[in-house]
Amino acid sequence: MDWPALWLSLHLAGWTVLLLLPVAVFLGRFLAFHRFAGKGAVEALVILPLVLPPTVLGFYLLVAFGAGSPVGRLWESAFGGPLVFSFEGLVAASVLFNLPFAVQPAQRGFEAVPKDVREAAACCGMSPLTALRRVELPLAWPGVLTGMVLTFAHTLGEFGIVLMVGGAIPGETRTVAISIYDRVQAFDMSGAAQMSAMLLAISLVTIAVTFRLSERAGRRLS
Amino acid sequence: MTLEVAVRAAAPIPLDVSFRVEAGELLALVGPSGAGKSTVLRAIAGLWHPDRGRVSVDGETWLDTDTGTDLPTHRRRLGVVFQSYALFPQMTALANVMAAGAGQTRASEVLELVHLGGLERRRPAELSGGQQQRVAVARALARDPAVLLLDEPFSAVDRGTREGLYAEIERLRAHLRMPVVLVTHDMEEARRLADRIVVIDHGQVLRDGPVDDILYDPRALRGMGLREAGATLTARIEDQEADGLTRLRCAGGPLWLPRISGVAGEVVRVRIMAHDVMLANQRPEAISALNVIPGVIESILPGDGPGALVTLAVGDELVVARITQRSVQAMGLVVGQSCYALVKSMAVARHQVGREEAEP
Amino acid sequence: MPLPRRHFLALSAAALALPARASAAPVIAAAASLRFALPVLTGAFTARGGGPLRVTYGSSGTLAQQMRNGAPFALFLSADASYVQTLARAGTVTDEGTVYARGRLALIAPKGGLAVDGAMDGLAAALETGAIRRFAIATPDHAPYGQRAREALQHRGLWEALQPHLVFGENVAQAAQFAISGNAQGGLVAASLAAAPAVEAQAVSARVPESWHSPLEQRMVLAPEAPATARAFHDFLLSPPAQEIFAAHGFAAPEPA
Repeated sequence: MDWPALWLSLHLAGWTVLLLLPVAVFLGRFLAFHRFAGKGAVEALVILPLVLPPTVLGFYLLVAFGAGSPVGRLWESAFGGPLVFSFEGLVAASVLFNLPFAVQPAQRGFEAVPKDVREAAACCGMSPLTALRRVELPLAWPGVLTGMVLTFAHTLGEFGIVLMVGGAIPGETRTVAISIYDRVQAFDMSGAAQMSAMLLAISLVTIAVTFRLSERAGRRLS
Repeated sequence: MTLEVAVRAAAPIPLDVSFRVEAGELLALVGPSGAGKSTVLRAIAGLWHPDRGRVSVDGETWLDTDTGTDLPTHRRRLGVVFQSYALFPQMTALANVMAAGAGQTRASEVLELVHLGGLERRRPAELSGGQQQRVAVARALARDPAVLLLDEPFSAVDRGTREGLYAEIERLRAHLRMPVVLVTHDMEEARRLADRIVVIDHGQVLRDGPVDDILYDPRALRGMGLREAGATLTARIEDQEADGLTRLRCAGGPLWLPRISGVAGEVVRVRIMAHDVMLANQRPEAISALNVIPGVIESILPGDGPGALVTLAVGDELVVARITQRSVQAMGLVVGQSCYALVKSMAVARHQVGREEAEP
Repeated sequence: MPLPRRHFLALSAAALALPARASAAPVIAAAASLRFALPVLTGAFTARGGGPLRVTYGSSGTLAQQMRNGAPFALFLSADASYVQTLARAGTVTDEGTVYARGRLALIAPKGGLAVDGAMDGLAAALETGAIRRFAIATPDHAPYGQRAREALQHRGLWEALQPHLVFGENVAQAAQFAISGNAQGGLVAASLAAAPAVEAQAVSARVPESWHSPLEQRMVLAPEAPATARAFHDFLLSPPAQEIFAAHGFAAPEPA
């Protein structure tokens, strides 16, 4: 069992969730409640990573974050190390790649908050932030949480992008999914089997949790 | 406290409406659906922004497109009762009222005022429609609003409950010192509750005046949508008969309608449109209409043109008939007279039959 | 329903409490042919007082590409000379590196299958009879052992006939894994992999004559800013004890320059 890799994956998943939580809440809410020109384009952009092959996204990130790119140079001058093949680069890639997993369920969650209930909050004198905290989030949280659970599980399993922009540096970018691939090439099938079983278990728990949450959300709104 | 409203807009419908409501006055905005009355209410609340307009309450300007003033909804001190109540489902009745900024003591008082003492800990899903509506009223009153807006607040409850709520509002009037605007398409409701009526149709004010003046003004009646006039009877399923009819019993006796699914004893609500009802002075025989409902004439409203609207009390419910003024005269119909309403079974379409809301 | 605030807080606390970098040990990027030899070599290095190292494996082409894109490798152990030269030309490294071993190609097959011999006669016969359905090599695009496998097969005149049966590993270790998994009848891989106990337990192998392909002159190169530990390891790999380990793992000694 490659514990550092599992630890690293959990670490990566934790950061991804932490960074995507506010994005999911505010972007999901915005998309759920507002109509504007180009909304379809924005939604399509959010969903894009879902259909885009991970390697394609990986390729563009490599180009965008690489040592030759403006982003890469800016990062390097600020932090003294390259963004690609680093944990930070992996976090950035993971945040982009998980956008649909985090934002979509959150958006669905906010869409389930009836318009008149939101308006009632304003008519009760609640400012938009107060309404978000006291009325919208308490009703939309199953969606938001589903998004976070999916993001967490998905990050643990992501392979293609991690391989492309992360390399497989132990303790830095060798996640548990990469480690499984690595174990197989090292003819260490039992190591690969243990870690695969671990990821399988985590995936099953994820599905169970999301099912419970959607069931709960469904009950509440009926 | 005076509410002054003037709004103009080109979309979603062409709108040009202005009126004022004095402190303690209850103004009913009436008109057929789509006339723009709810839109006007939303403009007062800041939930909709007209192209041009001005909304001010007692000198405080909430909206003035000329000066660019547009207070966000949460900064306007108002209470709104929504058509669907829009209660916060995750909160108890008490928490709902407190969400409007009232302290616990004040919230309990207001709930007490609408006769919901003892139900403070219930969530909306554990309350009946009428009770939910009272929570919504309590929530709207809790923040001591400068304006109270009621957006078709009684349309989602059955007539029996509605009667109780009307009585409630009438009683509450003593406590309402602010301008109140009630949006409704039900002229009976306006008659019962309002001091003044503004009739809106196609985004324009047709009439503005005291209730009694408006109710007998044919021009205003047209705006209120005579075509849509109708009433709802509560009936209990008695039997599913072999020829495809269902026998029900209402306050006025048996009713036969095309097959309604349901078991004997189940209570349904039947909407009968005024233009499907004929009137007779005596119980007619040998006619094709199966349903003959006895009642007492409660009001006769002449319309614009040859029509008139006759309201019949059937038990404590109503049946409305739209007949010609010539018939009213020929039959010598007067208020207080007994007569019979004839309703063709086949005139009641399935979508006009609704289920009684369960009281938990 | 209260927000499960505590869960989020616990999660974020856990994420933040973790160090951003697990360790600062220098990263060695190693060709996949070194997968079994290198753990022994780093073990011997630390046993002699060397500092901790981290190792990432891949095809030489992939690793060179990553290093050129800024991957923080302190030392690159390539499977041939060309990728080191490419990096030197690109300015990623400042010299053309040092030969640390010479690689050999081996024909490998699961036990009880294909008749394995260095001249590939058994393979040729099996191809004739249609007994070869799948044959694994590393991808010639960016794996030196894949390129040499193609050269050797071309030299033996089997390349064309084998074309429809080839499966390509992303690197030579994956090719070896494919070759002995039972899903292929054999493969051409690094002798250093064929000699590993884990492989020998399941497979038979034979070395292919070195003259059948261009040499696998395995070079290593230090990054310009490589830390002292990486430089020490670089020097250690050229020392007699390390060279013995290379020899024990199926590598030939670097020819004196």
